[in-house]
Amino acid sequence: MGAGSRAFAARAGAALGLVFGADVACAHVASAQAGAFYAGLLHPLTAPEHVLPMLALGLLAGQQGLHEGQGALLALVIALVAGAGLAPNGLTPSWISLLNVGWLVVIGGLVAASWRLPIGLLYALALGFGATHGYANGAALPSGLSPAIFILGLATAALLTTGYGLVVADALSRLKPAWPRVAVRVAGSWVAAVGILVLGMGGKAFGGL
Amino acid sequence: MNPPLSSQYLRFAAVIGLLMPTLALAHVGQGDVSGGFIAGFEHPILGLDHVVAMIAVGLWGAQLGPPAIWVLPVTFPLVMALGGLLGGLGVELPSVEIGIATSAVVLGAMVTLAMRPPLWVAGVLVGLFAIFHGYAHGAELPESANPLTYALGFVVATGSLHLVGITLGLANRWSWGTRSLQAGGAVIASCGVYFLLPHLAGA
Repeated sequence: MGAGSRAFAARAGAALGLVFGADVACAHVASAQAGAFYAGLLHPLTAPEHVLPMLALGLLAGQQGLHEGQGALLALVIALVAGAGLAPNGLTPSWISLLNVGWLVVIGGLVAASWRLPIGLLYALALGFGATHGYANGAALPSGLSPAIFILGLATAALLTTGYGLVVADALSRLKPAWPRVAVRVAGSWVAAVGILVLGMGGKAFGGL
Repeated sequence: MNPPLSSQYLRFAAVIGLLMPTLALAHVGQGDVSGGFIAGFEHPILGLDHVVAMIAVGLWGAQLGPPAIWVLPVTFPLVMALGGLLGGLGVELPSVEIGIATSAVVLGAMVTLAMRPPLWVAGVLVGLFAIFHGYAHGAELPESANPLTYALGFVVATGSLHLVGITLGLANRWSWGTRSLQAGGAVIASCGVYFLLPHLAGA
């Protein structure tokens, strides 16, 4: 066997090992608590009822400007972690689910109105929203997973989506034509409309979230 | 030996490996995205009476120019959702189908005649019709659908129809475009009359 073919065999072996090794590693993720992180990350990201208001809060913060709005991210994460940490496992009470739909209306409506908010009000919104959403997500902790790492995943998801909204709204507000700012307001209006329709179609159906 | 090549292999292999657990985890979600969203998205688009009225709103907004061109797409979904709230709560609203057909007639006529009423008059008129449209959708939620994804599909579809109307309406800046818009308005108004006829015959 020549040196060249040995090197090739080694490379191929490394590639195969990585490809199939990932599958094997997958079977261990729960015990390594990587599963808890992904479960926490994906729980809000795979549900539009969590993604929509987080994006909308980011847009609202971004409308205030990057400098003024970025504190909302910190307020959101603190409240989210507190809410998720304090939530007992089990069904979310229906008034919290109703409140979570209500946030769609409040935050989406404010984005549509495009008002310059007192910065304290923005933080208060982020805190209140974070607490009830943290509760709803924390209550859904799958059994056997580490709560701390699950909540770390939740906080990462919240930071990513809200931070994305913040950066996009701020970047669009710096553009010269008016229509990108209008597009942000239209997005807020759509989010609020979804919230109002859900309230109309029966908040009861949301009791199980 | 050629280290860059082997590191390329390793990188490629690592990417493949990293993607696999993601694929496996992809169904963790609880969102029922496809079930509700598609039903909600189809609902306004499959009903031609809704489609022509929504396009007419966009066309008229574009004809009126700023600020109507952005006031309408921002406020319409909100007012329509309030109509949906009435529908969902079971509040009785008379002659919803007639109201929807009439909205196509009136909005089509506004576009045909290129009417330019004060902004508040246009707003009240469009808002009134928005309530009828929202009411019809709110009252027709399928039992099985997730309300949120249904509402999301429904709002996105309605808003996209407005955007289509506004985009078409941008042709208004050319003289051929102005005439085409007015012709389009006439087509919409005649569709409205067609939808209205069975109701009038039945009454």
